[in-house]
Amino acid sequence: MTPGSPGAEEQPVADRASAISTKNASKTFEGGTVALEKVSFEVARSQFVSILGPSGCGKSTLLRMVGGLIPADAGGEVRVLGQLQRSPSSDVGIVFQTHNMLPWITVEANIRLAAEMRGLSTSEIAERTRRILDVLKLTPYRSLFPHQLSGGMRQRAAFGQILILRPQILLLDEPFGALDALTRDQLNVELLRLWEEGKQTVILITHSIPEAVFLSDRILVMSDRPGRIIADIAIDFPRPRDPQHTRAFPEFTEHVLTLNHMMGVH
Amino acid sequence: MPRLSFLRAVPRSFIDPLVAFVVLAVIWEKAVDLLGIKRYLLPPLSQILATAWKNIDVLLRESAITGWEVVLGYVAAVAGGVALGLAIFALPVFRRTCYPFIVIFQGLPKIALAPLLVIWFGYGTSSKVLMAFLFAFFPVVISTMGGLAGTPVHLIEHFRAIGASPWNTFRRLRVPSALPSIMDGCRTAMPLAVIGAIAGEFVGSEKGLGNLVLLANANARTDLLFAALLAISVLVGVLYLLIELIARRIWWRGL
Ligand SMILES: Nc1ncnc2c1ncn2[C@@H]1O[C@H](COP(=O)(O)OP(=O)(O)OP(=O)(O)O)[C@@H](O)[C@H]1O
Ligand SMILES: [Mg+2]
Repeated sequence: MTPGSPGAEEQPVADRASAISTKNASKTFEGGTVALEKVSFEVARSQFVSILGPSGCGKSTLLRMVGGLIPADAGGEVRVLGQLQRSPSSDVGIVFQTHNMLPWITVEANIRLAAEMRGLSTSEIAERTRRILDVLKLTPYRSLFPHQLSGGMRQRAAFGQILILRPQILLLDEPFGALDALTRDQLNVELLRLWEEGKQTVILITHSIPEAVFLSDRILVMSDRPGRIIADIAIDFPRPRDPQHTRAFPEFTEHVLTLNHMMGVH
Repeated sequence: MPRLSFLRAVPRSFIDPLVAFVVLAVIWEKAVDLLGIKRYLLPPLSQILATAWKNIDVLLRESAITGWEVVLGYVAAVAGGVALGLAIFALPVFRRTCYPFIVIFQGLPKIALAPLLVIWFGYGTSSKVLMAFLFAFFPVVISTMGGLAGTPVHLIEHFRAIGASPWNTFRRLRVPSALPSIMDGCRTAMPLAVIGAIAGEFVGSEKGLGNLVLLANANARTDLLFAALLAISVLVGVLYLLIELIARRIWWRGL
């Protein structure tokens, strides 16, 4: 983790506990599309939160706002680690819906990129890259180009692209959306192990209800556009979780059914 | 078939055009005889090749002259075109001032400028270089601008998210992603540069392949005229091949 986030002294004591907080955050695009309407929620540090919602309800928009890529409408606010979010910071890593690897450089060079852009020292970059390739099991493929990777490897590499900066907050926009069920389950477990070790704060957008229930401490459900948060459900299976045991809890099925119902109705 | 096995080592991409060429040559050769076409209208290929061989030193000398004009004009067009494309893309001032002029200028028949250039720069190399430049310039500018503007938005957003500076975004994202398109412009520009130089030689020159075409024409030497045309094709082919070799280093189109 990044030691001593910048400006840690100035932030109000009350905000210290929450990694992310939004208050009445709305987003209206030019042309009048209201994507989000008065979204307020808080995410505590090291919490794993999933967001479920119908397609087009503003999930990606919300993630962009939290990531500092687009501003909230006047009157709302988005805070990350207590600071008003104005521009992308290295505390926040975003894995987008579409993969973002440059086709003209190797997997390794793609993973290094963010560190180079943030001006880390050469030796530090080399060390971090080596570790990440190792953790993500990409070392044998580091000299391949992105189009030579399988879907699962590409998604691991996409994680590598942001983990290199060791962000405290991970914003994941349907990172496993394009994968087959088997690979998806496997990467879910890997993500879980990664998070158990790094204890980052995670917001995961997903369309898979079982995935959300399996991974999360908490699930936020959004309404149709304009997106609002219509349910906030705590999932308190013991940690560490693993597919066999966690999915075997009767409450697991209950949660899935409740959420199915909720999503079906809207 | 042991006798043919050596052929397998030669790539199809080389054999296929060669076969097509030979078939075409045979048809030409036979057609001229069968249809009784007058030799001063269309000499058989064998005669053209014989003339070309006899005058090989002249052809090489003139090719070198025209080739040099083309290379100078082309290199200037690529350098200038890419630079201007970048400037127009990066600086709105250039977009407002230079761009309209370039578009209007592109609409002019540049061939009509050749006499003027000869008056200004004389019968020597420089007017031909300038013609080659003018013909090749525009596609490079347009393809550079298009390439830079076509950077995928999700990659631009990713660069913003990882805190890349505008300079780094330009250098490490926009330029490489524009290269395939710029390369297309350079490909298009190569034959145009040759046309420009030859057109310049037509209007006023003492040397070069264009001049040789005019001379052969004036002396009713159709075979030499065709030999000169052959030399022009070879020149275009060789220069184009060079561009292709460079273009191969930019392989990430559409990935
Ligand atoms: N840059 C933009 N300009 C205008 N409208 C936009 C823009 N980005 C998104 N929208 C609109 O905002 C709404 C929410 O989009 P968003 O991408 O956030 O949905 P989503 O919940 O992520 O959908 P999905 O699950 O399909 O990814 C959509 O109606 C979309 O058309
Ligand atoms: Mg989305």
